Amino acid sequence: MAALFSAGESKSQERLGEVIETTTTSFVAESDQLHALPDLGALVRVGGRASQPSYFGVVAFGETGGLDTSRRAVRRGGVDIHDEEVYQRHPELEHVLRTIFTVTVVGYSSGSVCHHVLPTQPVPLHYSVHPCSRSDVLAFTAEPRYLPMMLATSGELPPEMLLASHLRWVDGVLRDDHIWLADATRRLARLMKRDYDRFSMIAQAIAPDI
Amino acid sequence: MTLDLATIADRIAQLVGTVDPAFEEERFDALERSWGEADTAEVRRRLATAKTSFLTATPHGRLQERFALPVVPQQYTVAATDGSMIAPDRHSPARFYLINIGKVRLSYGTQSSAALTNEPDFRFDEHDLYVPDVVHRIPVNETILGVKRACAELHSVADLLDPADCSVALQDGTLILWAIQSLQDAIVNWAVTEYMEAMRVLRERGIPLASYISAPGSADVLNTLRIAICDYPEMGLQIDCNACRARILTENRPPACDILPAVTDRYLFERVAHLEQGERSGLFDSESFILDKYDPDQRVQFFFLNTGREIARIEVPQWVGSDPNLVDRVHAVVYDQAQKGLGYPVVLQEAHEMAVLSMSDRRLVTDAIERQLARHGVVVTQSGKSGSKRGRFV
Repeated sequence: MAALFSAGESKSQERLGEVIETTTTSFVAESDQLHALPDLGALVRVGGRASQPSYFGVVAFGETGGLDTSRRAVRRGGVDIHDEEVYQRHPELEHVLRTIFTVTVVGYSSGSVCHHVLPTQPVPLHYSVHPCSRSDVLAFTAEPRYLPMMLATSGELPPEMLLASHLRWVDGVLRDDHIWLADATRRLARLMKRDYDRFSMIAQAIAPDI
Repeated sequence: MTLDLATIADRIAQLVGTVDPAFEEERFDALERSWGEADTAEVRRRLATAKTSFLTATPHGRLQERFALPVVPQQYTVAATDGSMIAPDRHSPARFYLINIGKVRLSYGTQSSAALTNEPDFRFDEHDLYVPDVVHRIPVNETILGVKRACAELHSVADLLDPADCSVALQDGTLILWAIQSLQDAIVNWAVTEYMEAMRVLRERGIPLASYISAPGSADVLNTLRIAICDYPEMGLQIDCNACRARILTENRPPACDILPAVTDRYLFERVAHLEQGERSGLFDSESFILDKYDPDQRVQFFFLNTGREIARIEVPQWVGSDPNLVDRVHAVVYDQAQKGLGYPVVLQEAHEMAVLSMSDRRLVTDAIERQLARHGVVVTQSGKSGSKRGRFV
């Protein structure tokens, strides 16, 4: 269990979106702004006000499409009109499209202690999703015991790809000369010593030049 | 039960044969000839005295005139409202109705923006459930609620627009109260009064109103061609359709206009007049008799527009039709909207989406009412038919 710095920092108070579907293992959030969603592999936080627990999860998938699932998006542009001009010409699109992202739950914190296990209750529906501050990330990843849990997830992405994205994202936030990344990778290597093929997929995705 | 399609497959094949216009080539040649040769002044003269059994349309300019697409304004605002409703249901434990109005305003130009909302209106008071009439007690049914909905749509769309902008208020469907014209006088008078009041708001605020009819089924202009080729005037007789058709039986004499095929104006303007993409026809006055009860400046005029996807009928009140600048604005804006909506005005499409009440929405309303009633100790008893639909069994 690691001490959690959490809250207080302005970044962690920013809102990314709102939980619109929730289960014990994952939740889906709708972004407040079209196209604005956290990076794949990013650590995000829900709750944490007053005596409530903070729930932590890793962004596992993102999607932008019709607000009404029965209305598929169609091509609006061409050679003359494209990219942002399409939105300028079709102002209603901002209202009929939405961006959603799926988050794999990897732990929670109560008080100043964080737990790398699934919370006993699903993340509350309609709660805000916040980005994690650097100190949140430092605290939650100090002992990366949640990594095996991520290997067992079944989502849109193969778990190896999701894990590699998360490792790269944490490495980018910590900017610690890859010390954390090397440690996490060693842990994974030990964990996956009987599964070289899967581990090499992760290693390749983390550092394709090696 | 599943439909047994096999039993009607042959009949479907026969139906397809009857809607293929190629099989009546001679009549279509006559249609092309009549359209090309019709003399507008003579048509007008004939229309003034003709006693017809069908709807005709009086052209403003030359019958065959057409107008190219005007320049689409760089900056314009278009708004539309559409309504969805739950009508009073005698199977329901409580008498009420609900009108849900979808409201959409789209502004284009350097600062494009959009506002999409909806507003439900739930009514259950006695005075809302009956048409106000001192003599008759007329309960609100689906047709009457349709008028209330149309009025609410017009009032709402007026509130969405600023006359200082280059704006157009667009509605889906017709501006002519067809549905009520054969109902009893008390309903007709009430409906027209309410509708005129709503239309006047737009006029007073200077917001041009137009309505868009997709795949129009009308044949007013085609019927006008029937008048143009009628042989009664050549015989020194006044055009009188009923008398003429009666002679089919008495004298075995087919009416001269029977040479024209039974097609719609949509067909006429697409295949015979050959409106090009973006072009519109001239303006026509609708001669529907319900319009005699409209304010003179709200009488409905219409033109046909080739949107590139279809020939649509666009209706405007007389005060809009009499201003060439406003007609040009409606022409350009409706065409541009149809382009943006891939064949159907995007503002209407979104207003519909905002208004629509799904089956689950409807069920939610009913369930909420039943729950509230239960809290007050009222046990809801369903009608036999309603109950059998809810809980189907074998």
